[in-house]
Amino acid sequence: MLITADMKMADLIHLDFQLLAVIQRIGINLGFREKTIDEVCKENDVDTDFFIQIARSFHDKDYFPKEKFFTFKAEWLIHFLRRTHQCILEYKIPEIEEKIKLMVEDLKETTRNYELIKNFFTEYIRELRVHMELEETQVFPYVLALSECIESKTKTEGFEKYFNEYNIQRYLEDHNDIEEKVFDLKNILIKYLPPPTDSCKYNSLLFEIFKLEKDLQDHSKLEDKVLIPKVKLMENELENL
Amino acid sequence: MVRILVAEPSYLVRKGLSTILNELKTVTQIEEISSADEIREALTSIIPNMIIINTTISSMPQVEEDIRKHTPDAAVISIFNTPIPKNTNEKTLSVFDDKSVLINKLRSQVKSVQQTYIQQENSEELSEREREVLQKIALGKTNKEVANELFISTHTVISHRKNITRKLGIKTVSGLTVYAILNQIISMEDIS
Ligand SMILES: [Fe+2]
Ligand SMILES: [Fe+2]
Repeated sequence: MLITADMKMADLIHLDFQLLAVIQRIGINLGFREKTIDEVCKENDVDTDFFIQIARSFHDKDYFPKEKFFTFKAEWLIHFLRRTHQCILEYKIPEIEEKIKLMVEDLKETTRNYELIKNFFTEYIRELRVHMELEETQVFPYVLALSECIESKTKTEGFEKYFNEYNIQRYLEDHNDIEEKVFDLKNILIKYLPPPTDSCKYNSLLFEIFKLEKDLQDHSKLEDKVLIPKVKLMENELENL
Repeated sequence: MVRILVAEPSYLVRKGLSTILNELKTVTQIEEISSADEIREALTSIIPNMIIINTTISSMPQVEEDIRKHTPDAAVISIFNTPIPKNTNEKTLSVFDDKSVLINKLRSQVKSVQQTYIQQENSEELSEREREVLQKIALGKTNKEVANELFISTHTVISHRKNITRKLGIKTVSGLTVYAILNQIISMEDIS
């Protein structure tokens, strides 16, 4: 079903509960009563079209209006990406970590194997943090400053001072793949670890890992296919001011 | 499982092809892309056994080279936006082909891919050489070091690594290290 602005927000969640993540990250709280998507967005100062396009692309992987995304404000996109980082680092990762810890405690005999998984994941979290921190402390502030320059039609003082030497190409060169290790972890758990005794716990761990992988894929897609090309357009615009 | 990449700019044609492929009931994974810039990423992430590609995409610069480089063994089938004569090569389709022609061509292609693929990949077991390469990679050695120690070229090491990744479903060095320890190819003490 095509998601439209006159649809009720509550119905949207019934249609696809995974969109709860989008709703939360775009900055909308639950408790919609009978309000439509458009009404809820307006109340929360969220651009309705931006919400619709994001919701449609997360709901249907064939739907991805790249050109349309370029027309939205860089600030909106960055806000959304930041909330995703926050949600992944502060909530999803600790949850998986906790589940792995429980497993290690549960399986005394094969602990060595599970210890191995724990270390693998710990190393991964470290990498993930470095990756996201770089985006938060360099890339996003750069994009926001760039957007300010375009709005005021001149290179601002702050931009000259901090970002004159920076460009998005530099970020692109070391924007590494953060999904690969999650992919590996999934396969190691499914194919190579000796089966655990409590498969209910084990399945719920795997389930979380699948969800994390999907989350990271959607996130990277927005960064690679929307943010980076959009910033390139913005850089050109600034050059030609 | 046969992995198929459909590279076709038209959404309608892409969906049509996927629908027909799904009807073939062979267990397949179908990935769709719509333009030449997506091809390299798709090739390396899904490593297709079969590529169905519109000639408007395959004629773009670099595309054929990328296919040869990343998936040299994949069967490549071309889709033409123009009618093509009957009884042409089985590896060409036209958007004007009717269902029976399409089904026949695609079925025989998928079947032949499946046969070669099953022969080669049912041996999910690593070969002796692949085990040796894996052992050294898991110990943190670079491709060059591995090449020197085994008296083979770096190019050969890379191709062994690709096969290891395809067989095991593990892409990163740390993942391979975990696998190697779990399977006693190296021991925990070796890495610490
Ligand atoms: Fe990010
Ligand atoms: Fe990123």
